[in-house]
Amino acid sequence: MGGALVFWVGVITAAICVAMLFTFKNMSDPTLWRTCSILTLSCCYLMWAITYLAQLHPIIIPKRDNLRVDL
Amino acid sequence: MSLIQLYIPSDVVRYTVSQLGELGLIQFRDLNTEVSAFQRSFVNDVRRFDEIERKLRYLRSQIERSDVDVYDFLDEDFASSSRGPRDIDDMEERINAHESRVVKLTMAYKNLQLKNLELIENKHVLEEVSSLFSEITGRQQTAGPQGAGGRSSIDAARAGGMDLDVEHGSVVGHDINVGFVTGVIPRDRVSTLERVLWRSLRGNMFLNYVDIEEPIHDPNQDEPVYKSAFIVFAHGESLRDRATRIAESLGATLYRVDSNAERRQEELIDTMSRIDDLHQILENNNVARLTELTSVSEQINTWFTVVRKEKAVYHTLNLFNYDANRNCLIAEGWCATNDIPAIQSALHIATEDAGSNVPTILHELRTTKEPPTFIRTNKFTEGFQNIVDAYGVPKAGEVNPGLFTCITFPFLFALMFGDLGHGFLMTLSAALLCIYERRLSWLAKSESLRMFYSGRYIILLMGIFSMFTGLLYNDIFSRAMSIFASGWVWPTDKGGEGVIVEATRLGHTYLVGIDPAWHHASNSLLFTNSYKMKMSIVLGVIHMTLGICLQVPNALHFKKRINIIHVFVPQIIFLFSIFGYLVFAIILKWSTDWYARDASGELTHISPPSLLNMLIYMFLSPGSVSESETMFRGQAALQTLLLLTALVCVPWMLLVKPLILRREHQKIISEGYGRISSHVRVSTDGDELGGAVVMTEQEEMQEDDFDFGDIMINQSIHTIEFCLNSISNTASYLRLWALSLAHAQLSEVLWTMTFLPTLKMHGALQPVAIFCGFAVWFLLTFFILIGMEGLSAFLHALRLHWVEFNNKFYDGTGVKFEPFSFKAVLDETEE
Repeated sequence: MGGALVFWVGVITAAICVAMLFTFKNMSDPTLWRTCSILTLSCCYLMWAITYLAQLHPIIIPKRDNLRVDL
Repeated sequence: MSLIQLYIPSDVVRYTVSQLGELGLIQFRDLNTEVSAFQRSFVNDVRRFDEIERKLRYLRSQIERSDVDVYDFLDEDFASSSRGPRDIDDMEERINAHESRVVKLTMAYKNLQLKNLELIENKHVLEEVSSLFSEITGRQQTAGPQGAGGRSSIDAARAGGMDLDVEHGSVVGHDINVGFVTGVIPRDRVSTLERVLWRSLRGNMFLNYVDIEEPIHDPNQDEPVYKSAFIVFAHGESLRDRATRIAESLGATLYRVDSNAERRQEELIDTMSRIDDLHQILENNNVARLTELTSVSEQINTWFTVVRKEKAVYHTLNLFNYDANRNCLIAEGWCATNDIPAIQSALHIATEDAGSNVPTILHELRTTKEPPTFIRTNKFTEGFQNIVDAYGVPKAGEVNPGLFTCITFPFLFALMFGDLGHGFLMTLSAALLCIYERRLSWLAKSESLRMFYSGRYIILLMGIFSMFTGLLYNDIFSRAMSIFASGWVWPTDKGGEGVIVEATRLGHTYLVGIDPAWHHASNSLLFTNSYKMKMSIVLGVIHMTLGICLQVPNALHFKKRINIIHVFVPQIIFLFSIFGYLVFAIILKWSTDWYARDASGELTHISPPSLLNMLIYMFLSPGSVSESETMFRGQAALQTLLLLTALVCVPWMLLVKPLILRREHQKIISEGYGRISSHVRVSTDGDELGGAVVMTEQEEMQEDDFDFGDIMINQSIHTIEFCLNSISNTASYLRLWALSLAHAQLSEVLWTMTFLPTLKMHGALQPVAIFCGFAVWFLLTFFILIGMEGLSAFLHALRLHWVEFNNKFYDGTGVKFEPFSFKAVLDETEE
């Protein structure tokens, strides 16, 4: 797990994006579909990757002062 | 997009333009710009149709006022086919005939109403006055023989039981003239009348009045008015005149009434029969009017459509070059190159309809003029294209940012709005709008709701992306979800109110999104702020890079290779050497385990350095990085290199392109070529028949002054703008962080303040409290968090697109392609 997950998911996403370039041949507006799908995939991957990376090696630890203690 | 020229023979011209209007593929150019609107060739025709339209509008208002149903029926054949001049004349005649008949009937109706009013008032006066007369006698009886000497005959009459006509004006004593004035006056004016009469006639009058029970309908006013019948007795002609004038000035209507009771009775009967007659006439008039209007209403829609289309045709004809000698018109217009065959067939149809042998000729012109931009949109992309067009219509041939906006705009919105619950509600409402879009198409006409309807696909996409970002921010109506295994665990032995506890890290990271452990932490903002700020910078740099890269297709299309090498390349290098490095540092810092220990338990890294300081000191003290801030080996050298690269890029952007352009220009001049400036118009050849597409060249005035100073200034502005903007625009993306923070905090406050207390309540009233609390919470969520915050995030995402993204590559100086189309004309006049 860890950083490697980000890398491999990235590779898979890139592969799907490339595949998207060759689908949609028989749609009414292939450029639109291609652009939209590639953009969506990249945006979603980026956001997930950033979120995952930010929590990979945390620098601060969560603290709280109202933990309910069950006796 | 090609510029075409049409040569249309005069007798075919109306049919041709009608056919082209139905087709809606050509945007005609105005060939008569130097002529004022009143001097154009077809002004009279336009006026004629304006007249007809006015008459139609009058007829329609009459129809509406009489509550006749207007049929929605549209005679398709008549309205859509090419109409000959004889058809139009027929239509005009019929409309004129209808209109004059309706006008006459309405006039007559009004007159009859007035007459009716008079007769009714007369009738009332007659009825009431008899009672007044009887009252007078009664009073005079009580008054006794005291009055003037002339009263004795009345006594005599009374004694004799004779009837009352003795007391009329010519009766009594020396003063023979006790005349009276009768009439009808609105009830509220009676007291005024009495007072004014009393004062002006110095008391030498006697007024009596009776209220008329039923209100009288005055056709001049909308509401029925309550009136009273009055009678004023006064001596002498002059006093009576004065009374008459006063009464009339106060708005009374005077009626002559006979003092003889018998004659009054006769008059009354007469009046009533006249009223009946009049009612009959009114009925007949009404029926005639309604029949007339009904017959008009069946056709009025068709007529309206035809008139509007004809007017549009003549307006368009005014744009053409009318060659009176050659008996043909020359039209110029833009159309999509693919549509030329369709236009050709339309021209054929028009020529056949007109029954003419002379075909219309279509030329395709070669021109350097800039064509209007025609972007085909479907119902999905239309909304996005509209928000791009609001900033600027793309120039012909330019990259259309609308393509990318379809996804990047909802995504940037979602970054600022991220909440699974709110996104779900948004998606739901937008989905309803989209699924029922046919049934809800009336929304497009409503002023306030038009925005939501035409932007329904935008809202749908915004909602879907918001659900995704809500999932990642782990926010559903400000609560957190624990779908996967959390990476932290809270201690089980410590705890309690006020005792600070720390979570312990388990080995793994929360798989998708922010760990739910942060939801309860008191220092969660420390983490989320850092996370969101860095995310904004990373995504911002990527978005801007996309913008800069879009310069390349533009440069390739307009064949300005110089732009790629000497504008695009230094810009990219500049951006990457500073902000690309920052992004790299961010990712490096995230990927490093700062608290890893090596074999002997020592920390392998320094304490995590501050990225902000790193960036600042990169500029302030280049070449040296303090020991406690070093992230990787060779950092100082790398930073110096990047700084120098960025520095080199600035004069590269500034000087190279103008100097190259100048060198080229000088090379051309030195080879002895001047600039050609010629203005050649295409001349009409009479023997070009056959309707074939002929290529003709048309050269235009070439404005061409190579002004080095101008270019230099332009380039320096461009350079300074880019360099300064690179910092400010990157910082501007921090609004993604700011708005998402505001949204999350607002959402949490709403929850803890309105709904949570009701859940923690004790007592019997809790269900009621929960009910009310939920209502408040939901309403505020919908209107404030989704409505207000949604609009706010929409605005900021729009700004990011318009300024930070479009700045990098977009020209936006185009003109929209608006073809001459009957559909557009009819839609416009519907509003």
